[in-house]
Formats: sequence, C-alpha cells, structure tokens
Amino acid sequence: MERLDPFSLVADELSLIANRLRSMVVADVSNLASAAEYFFKIGAEGKRFRPTVLLLMATALNVHIPELPPAGVGDTLPTDLRTSQQRIAEITEMIHVASLLHDDVLDDADKRRGIGSLNAVMGNKLAVLAGDFLLSRACVSLASLKNTEVVTLIATVVENLVTGETMQLTTASKQRFSMDYYMQKTYNKTASLLSNSCKSIAILAGHTAEVAMLAFEYGKNLGLAFQLIDDVLDFTGTSASLGKGSLSDIRHGIITAPILFAMEEFPELHAVLDQGFKNPANVDIALGFLGKSSGIQRTKELAMKHANLAAQVIESLPESDDADVIRSRQALIDLTQRVITRNK
Amino acid sequence: MVVAEVPKLASAAEYFFKLGVEGKRFRPTVLLLMATALNIHIPEPTAGGVGDTLTTDLRTRQQSIAEITEMIHVASLLHDDVLDDADKRRGISSLNAAMGNKLAVLAGDFLLSRACVGLAALKNTEVVSLLATVVEHLVTGETMQMTTSSEQRCSMEYYMQKTYYKTASLISNSCKAIALLAGQTAEVAMLAFEYGKHLGLAFQLIDDVLDFTGTSASLGKGSLSDIQHGIVTAPILFAMEEFPQLHAIVYQGFDNPENVDIALEYLGKSHGIQRTRELAMKHANLAAAAIESLPESNDEQIRKSRRALVDLTQRVITRNN
Repeated sequence: MERLDPFSLVADELSLIANRLRSMVVADVSNLASAAEYFFKIGAEGKRFRPTVLLLMATALNVHIPELPPAGVGDTLPTDLRTSQQRIAEITEMIHVASLLHDDVLDDADKRRGIGSLNAVMGNKLAVLAGDFLLSRACVSLASLKNTEVVTLIATVVENLVTGETMQLTTASKQRFSMDYYMQKTYNKTASLLSNSCKSIAILAGHTAEVAMLAFEYGKNLGLAFQLIDDVLDFTGTSASLGKGSLSDIRHGIITAPILFAMEEFPELHAVLDQGFKNPANVDIALGFLGKSSGIQRTKELAMKHANLAAQVIESLPESDDADVIRSRQALIDLTQRVITRNK
Repeated sequence: MVVAEVPKLASAAEYFFKLGVEGKRFRPTVLLLMATALNIHIPEPTAGGVGDTLTTDLRTRQQSIAEITEMIHVASLLHDDVLDDADKRRGISSLNAAMGNKLAVLAGDFLLSRACVGLAALKNTEVVSLLATVVEHLVTGETMQMTTSSEQRCSMEYYMQKTYYKTASLISNSCKAIALLAGQTAEVAMLAFEYGKHLGLAFQLIDDVLDFTGTSASLGKGSLSDIQHGIVTAPILFAMEEFPQLHAIVYQGFDNPENVDIALEYLGKSHGIQRTRELAMKHANLAAAAIESLPESNDEQIRKSRRALVDLTQRVITRNN
C-alpha cells in the first residue's frame, strides 16, 4: 500500500477547518479580535497536529451503516456527522490555543510558534482575556453539538489542563521528582486533550464504549509519546548531542523524563535540582550527569513503548474493507512513528 | 487535592468566598428566588417518592447554576485584575506583581474549569451555551472598557452595551438558565431573562451614581474611583449632553486631578445624577413588570418569591451603598 503523508490525506479538510476557525474567533471589539485571531492567522497556526489526528480518526472509524434509512435521511446523516466531527477538531484547537495564551502569561514567554507571544505583543491582560474568549467560543460550539457526553469529555479536558499547569507550577513540591507525578502531569497537560477528543469523535459516530475507549487509548498514548520526545528534543535539539536544544524546560526549573531517569542512576543530581537553576552552573552540572546517564535513551524507549501501544490500538479496531478507512488507519499508525522519529 | 499543593492557590480560592460575602451574595439570591418564583407544580408523588426526588434534583441543579454563576463572576474579576507591564512599573515590586499575575490567571482558570465541569454535569446543552456566552460577554465588556477610543467613551450607546456585557448579561442569562432547567416555556424563559437584564442594568446605573455621591446625596463624597480611572459613566454622559464643554475635558482624560474637579463641577450643575437615577428606575420598573407578567400562581411560596424579586428591584435603586 502506498505510504501517503498523513497530513496530506486531510489537507483540504484542514483548510476548511482553518477558515471556519478564523471566522469563529472574530470578535466585535477590535482589540479582542486581533488578540483572539493571533494564532489562527495564516502562518501562525502551528503544525495542526491535533486536527490532523482527529480527522484521520474520524475516517478510520467510518463504519458503513448496513441498512440505509429511508431516502434522503441516509444522505444527510453522514455529512452532518462529518461536520460535527470537524467541529470537535475546531473546538480542540480553540481550547489548545487558549491554554497556550495563558501558559505564555504564566511563563512570561516572549516567543511562541516563531513569532512574538501574544502577551509580549499586546499585553498580559489582553492575552488572558483572549484565552477566555476562545474558551467561551469553544464551549458555545461544543453545546451546539447537543451531545452531553461529549460536553463532559471536553469539560474534563479543560479541568485537566488547569490541573496540569498547576502541577507544573508547584516547583517547591517534592513530587516533581516523581516519575508518576510527571507522567500524570504530562497526561493532564498534553495527552488528555488528544485522548478525550479522539473519544468524542468515536462517540459522535455512535460507536460502542469499547471502540470509544480504543480511540481514547490511541490519543492518550500518542500524546504521551509526543511529549516525551518533546522533552528529549529540549535537550538535544536537531542534533543527537546534548545541550544543543533550547534547554528551556530545565532553565525554567521544569524537570522532565530524561532528568528523572538520570536521577535514578545518579542520586547526586537530587541536590543540584533542589538548588534550582537560577545559577546557570547548575544547568551545566545537570547536563553533565544527564550525558553520563542513559536518561535520553530511556526516555526515547518509553516514548517508543507508548507509540507502539497507540499503533496496536489502531490494529485492534473492528476490521473494515473500505479503502479510505484502511488508508486513514495506516496514516494513524504512521503518525505514531513520525512522532518518535522527528527531530523538531 | 491539587489545590492544597499550591498554598497561594488556596488563598486565591478563599478570595472567592470573601468576595461572595462582600457582594452580599446578590446574584445567588436573585437566582434562588427566581427558581422558586418559577416553580412548576409537581403532580402527586408516586409510591416510590419519585416526585420528591425530581423536585430535589431540580432544586439542586438550580443551586448549581447559582454556584457556577458565582465562579464565573469571580474568575472574571481575577482575570480583570491581571496587570500589564505599565501597571507593574507603577511602584509595585515587580516580583509581587508577577506572582500576583500568575495566581490571578491560574486561580481564574481553575474557577472557569470547575464551572465547565459543573455545567457539563447538568446535561443541558442550552444552559452550557447560555453561560458560555456570559463568559464571552464578560471578556468583551472588559475589553471594551480597556480599549475605548475617545469617541466611544462619549457614547451612551457604547456605555450601555458595555454595561450589559459586564454586569447584566451574567444575571440575565443565569435567570434564563434557571427557567430552562425548570422546563419552562420559551416565553417564561424570556421573562426571566428580561428580569435579570433590567435588574442588572438598574444595579450598575445606581453603582455609577454612588461612585460620585457615596452614602450622602451630595457630589464628590463617593470614592470617585470610576472617573479617576478614566471610566466615563452615565452621570457624566448625561452631563455632557447639557454641557458640551465637558467633551473636551473627557477627551483629555483624567490623569490630571484638576480635570476630575472640573468634571464634578459640571456634573453638579447638570441633571446627570438625576437622569441616571431616572434611567435606573425605568429599568427597575421593567424588571418588576417582567415578574408581574409571569403566569399566575396561587402557591404561597411562589407568590412570596415573586414579591421578593419585585422588592429587590426597589432595593437596587434606593440603596446607598
């Protein structure tokens, strides 16, 4: 089977969604409008990774209805379903961007997606308000789907995002040295959005609880794999060697998987981490230990484990002969590999 | 749970309760009274007491609206307090300002997320939509207030729109949500909405007056906080209609305290305060009329609550703090 680029499979639909997103975040008040639209402008939209996953999942779960309902109804339903699934992709992006806007205020960030962060460009308060605006638009769109289970799932995502951010800000807590805590935080901050939106796609399509759970597991494991590699890249950048990445996490005192693994091999690292990283010498010391340890390697292995779990989930989906379905499933599996082999 | 992990997040959440006390729990009072005022009679309970459970469920759900509404209200206050760099520089230690900002953002997000979860639990997507719209309006209203052009600042229409977004939308939409949960018709839901809207507008207009007059009837005894922050409210807008010279002062802004004094003088010579009170009364009466238009009921509890709601419309305009 021809290996198609997963992103190109859904490129047209992505444009459609991008246009709709741009029209959904328009506001009456011009400052709010510019703020809300900031990351939906052409060029600032990011890799559109999440919408790609969701659109592929929607096709991957496309099961033909055996007996067609009376004439006309059968035709309308599939279109309605696809539109509502696209809406999940839009809602997900709005929530994601809203959380980025607030995170940048919390982190005093000045750059995002290669351009100035909104808070740096238009002020903290407007960035916060714009995030709230996007969240409220997402909720209105969510309500229009008239599916209370999906509303609950997405509300859970919003809660998880805040919990994750709070967990990350508790720099004084001993728990930041715990791998369990770190994985929980990572689930909250990164994987929950993917897992619950994938599950929503399945629920909208009327699938069983089992299939919905498989969709959830795919999103969860993909998200975890994605974040673990993100953690590695923050140290290695585009090269395989250490210290070439932005080192942004460690400089902000955010302890990620590679360091946590290194701490298991070198308990001395504990003391360095306790001191914090205001002193740049400590960054070098930590990197020294990390280099001597198998921290990077073990993180990549953990990422691969989750990527493989995600791929297996797709293989467990109920069989289908439909070429579109098969292609999308292949693309979803392909994504699990891309997520762990990428170098940026 | 996680809240305990961040000690300051706990005190930010307490701020929520303190504020609730400070605000005389006005909003929840309105909502709970509205809930009783719209009580549909439950038919004879079945042997299993199913009728009773339904009633309790409904009341609990309506109470939930009151809680969600307060959480959204406080979240918006917290986010409105987020400072930009210019504000930080005004003599506040930058560390405190930065920490203060982070807590304000996070605490607000925490409350919003709890509101989302609470809304989802009601399993009523129309109610989700109404309260999500409230958040959108709060944000829009605050942005309008932050970013007015000189022209907009002088417009009564702009001011009333901003006031609807910032104050009345929350009460109107949550009243409507109360009605929807009770299974009321669209007409009754609209009456509940109108009550909330007019009550909210009346409340804010009197707030504007009190900012000038304080607890006395005379001018300049209030905190004058609005005008000192450059926020132009109804009394000044009315005064500007009588004294066009006031336009120039308003355009210049109020960083110069002399302009505050000049504006107060014009205000005193004008009917600004009086006309604002009259407008507030008009809205208060419209709110009362909405209650009187509700479908009749003989139930004593219902009638008492409706009288209380009408009573509130008077209290809102006669209060002096």
